[in-house]
Amino acid sequence: MNLNIPTLNCAKRAIAALALVWASIFLATVAQAGDLKTLKIAFRNAETGFDPQRIEDRYSVGIIENFFDTLVTYDWLARPAKLVPLAAEKVPEGEEGGTRFTFRIKPGILFADDPAFKGKKRELVARDMEYAIKRFRDPANRSPYAWLFIDRIVGFDEYVEAAKKANKYDYEKSIPGVQVLDKYTISFKLKQADYNFLYFFAMPIVVPVAREVIEAYASDTMAHPVGTGPYILKQWTRRSKIVLERNTNYRGHQLDTQYANPNDPFDQAAIKALAGKTLPLIDRIEISPIEEEQPRFLAFMNLEHDYIEETPPNFVSQLLSLGKLSPAMVKRNVHVQRTEEPEITWDAFNMEDKIVGGYKPENVAFRRALVLAHDRASEINIIRKGQAIATKSAIPPGAVGYDPDFYAVDEEYDLSRAKALLDLYGYVDKDGDGWRDMPDGSPIVLTFKHRAEMEGRQIAELWVKSMAAIGIRMQTTAVQFADLLRDRKVGKFQMSNLSWTADYPDGQNFLQLLYGPNIDESNDARFKLPEYDRLYSQALKLPDGPARNKIYREMNRLIVAYAPWRLGVNRIFSHFINPWVLGYKRHPILYTAFKYLDIDTAAQQAAQQQ
Amino acid sequence: MGAYVLRRLWQMIPTLAGVMLLIFVLFNWVGGDPSLVLAGKITNKEQIENIKKQLGVDQPAYVQLGYFAFEVATGFTCTWKSFTDKPEPPKTDPKADPTTDAKSDAVKATAQTKSGCQAVRSWATNEEVPKILTTRIVPTLTIMIPVLILETILGVILAIGVAYVRGSLTDRMIMMVCTVAMSVSFLVYIIVAQYIFGFQLGWFPVQGWSDSFWKNITYYAPLPIMLAVFVGLAPALRLYRSFFLDEINNDYVRTARAKGVSEKTVMMKHVLRNAMIPILTNIGIALPGIFVGSFLLETFFSIPGLGREILVAVNRSDFPVIKAATVYLAMVTMIINLLVDVLYKAVDPRVTFK
Repeated sequence: MNLNIPTLNCAKRAIAALALVWASIFLATVAQAGDLKTLKIAFRNAETGFDPQRIEDRYSVGIIENFFDTLVTYDWLARPAKLVPLAAEKVPEGEEGGTRFTFRIKPGILFADDPAFKGKKRELVARDMEYAIKRFRDPANRSPYAWLFIDRIVGFDEYVEAAKKANKYDYEKSIPGVQVLDKYTISFKLKQADYNFLYFFAMPIVVPVAREVIEAYASDTMAHPVGTGPYILKQWTRRSKIVLERNTNYRGHQLDTQYANPNDPFDQAAIKALAGKTLPLIDRIEISPIEEEQPRFLAFMNLEHDYIEETPPNFVSQLLSLGKLSPAMVKRNVHVQRTEEPEITWDAFNMEDKIVGGYKPENVAFRRALVLAHDRASEINIIRKGQAIATKSAIPPGAVGYDPDFYAVDEEYDLSRAKALLDLYGYVDKDGDGWRDMPDGSPIVLTFKHRAEMEGRQIAELWVKSMAAIGIRMQTTAVQFADLLRDRKVGKFQMSNLSWTADYPDGQNFLQLLYGPNIDESNDARFKLPEYDRLYSQALKLPDGPARNKIYREMNRLIVAYAPWRLGVNRIFSHFINPWVLGYKRHPILYTAFKYLDIDTAAQQAAQQQ
Repeated sequence: MGAYVLRRLWQMIPTLAGVMLLIFVLFNWVGGDPSLVLAGKITNKEQIENIKKQLGVDQPAYVQLGYFAFEVATGFTCTWKSFTDKPEPPKTDPKADPTTDAKSDAVKATAQTKSGCQAVRSWATNEEVPKILTTRIVPTLTIMIPVLILETILGVILAIGVAYVRGSLTDRMIMMVCTVAMSVSFLVYIIVAQYIFGFQLGWFPVQGWSDSFWKNITYYAPLPIMLAVFVGLAPALRLYRSFFLDEINNDYVRTARAKGVSEKTVMMKHVLRNAMIPILTNIGIALPGIFVGSFLLETFFSIPGLGREILVAVNRSDFPVIKAATVYLAMVTMIINLLVDVLYKAVDPRVTFK
């Protein structure tokens, strides 16, 4: 027995030592958090990198919002979004009939310090914006947003063609439509009027960058974001942890809103928390990409994170029942904000397909019957767990041009009308096999192509069930994401589910998805209607206003009438915020809110220590 | 033994060539077109052609295969032009401005680019693939090495114990628990344990990872390690028990007992030593797995390891990363197989190399 005593003591000592280490790590973590105002959150997906002109995913873009200043931005509280100046002195008016836009950059804005500047302070100038614009079309960058500047700025396409011929992309050469008028002024001349061009300069990817930084880190620009924004990249463990800290060169800003809603509690809380203060107020932000739903949710519940955005639908019901917070959340004084994001989903018909395509009355009637028979309510209630609403038009809520009164009965579920339409146009069962046939007697077998993952499969299965209810045979094909993209681009599909999130908050960003010349680019339904294309071109030349809204309404009417899409849903996201996070309000376009937040550190630490 | 090892190393070359050919054929025939994934939301044919050109996927298959072989051999990717042109020296003298490592890295990288060759990079993130492998392997091994050690030690100890009391109620109960434990998906264990031990009881963090090895091993890793050990223990226990039973029933054990050798010596010296050969084989089979980690554990516990990296790469059609990971795993498997074969000799002197 005596022999066991030292062993036991040894084990006890080991456990005690381990506990001590554990406790010291915990206390060190708490102490570290106590020194700085630190915000900890999770992203739903991993980032790719932070070179503004080379990225596309919203998570990376959301991070660079904090590193770089756009020339213009959105009023933080205005809904729908309104442009306000940021690095520019003012939001320019369209000149020369909406074909020229001139920005004057505020003098004295400094880039964050970086060895590439060789110890000197570096001021933001117009040449930085010119350089960034050129980078979008540099083939070496493979910019996913090159489309913003294709066939738009005078002389830019010719500049790119010349570079291709010379086999050298010459940044020294000037573009006629991009004129640097003086140190701080840059002017853009467009081929044709486009009032939405201004929105491009509020996109976090259309930001000035310093050429010397890009050239110094040419091999890995993704890891070296050096901008004029409120934060710098302090630490980056790829796809695991992103740490931001305050940019000591940042000039500071204030919550300067002209459009706050006096009846919106989030607006009023933000004003109360931030008014008169020099922002940003948070010192350090730690972001963890967590792809799985449960750990992301539990990390919030466990107070490891300060808020959770875009809460997984499977977990929303645990915190929110019939729009009311659960007692546990009420006790924790957690706030919830529910938002309809400016995005839509739809099911596209390939307009060049022999069965579902075409513009003749019988073709249109067939598609409209399919739309009427599709049980969208089940998609919302079962697949989306009630976290969505039916899309009323191609322009989602929150986008400029959205018409809340636009309503199309032809998008409502109505089996009787669907069957009647099919019968009227001769889509009946001609061979007695129980399934409807084409008017010429040939069989109908539709194919729904979807991404090989759970949601895509569920949406496809719902279509099969809905079609069976009106006697239409349908099969599904699951393919990998890359293959689905390819098939859509070349029109190798009959029906498929798609979605679009706003790049900028104007209806045009959605309506272009059916613009005829965009076939092979973004018009996957391959819809080509002269009247629609004429209206689209006409709308581009008009600034926001009743005249343009009227055109948008007419375009929406054409979409419902010709039915190249079955309009899908607008997803509703729930964001839960712990009470010590002050000033939170979700923006429809910008993805992160760090520079408009504050933290009550005493309340944060008290909650974490409980 | 030297000749044997040398011969085995030679044999790895055609094996690896076969693996590479298989990977190449699979990715070129079955894999999607990466240029479309990289092209963005709105694309045109010209952009897609440009991307294909940059990725080299517009080249004939035999050229792409040649590039692939070169990349595996050197870790670098080159354009055809770079083989014929003389590399330009860097214009910037690194000594002129030795301000930071980043600067010298940048100069080095610029020189690489100018020579036409550069380290193989991820298509999605532009990160160097060798760097991805070397940095992600550390968290993976931080989890998987303790798992393998604990699982083996506990498996052997428990297996020898239950084998000794074979047929008893204890033996039957443990085997039943093992069968039940094996019937439940690893995912269920992770979800339930994360909820109970991470959230409800608060004994462990729900997820996370840090830059400190010490903090990781004592704070973030215990729950994933315990889960992996628990799940891996049941099949290991059953298997090792059968190895011990095979040995216990042999004549030499009966003879030893008849000669009056103590039970402790019979079990620990004779039975254990002989059962170690199949156990070692089993560990050898499992060993390559620790170098790729468990993507489920790494995804659910936010561990920045290789398993999670491969999963993200698959979702993004990031072929350079997937190909590199596959080739790397093939190489690790071959090397471990060789090591295990050499270890047989140490465990069993009767083994000879031919």
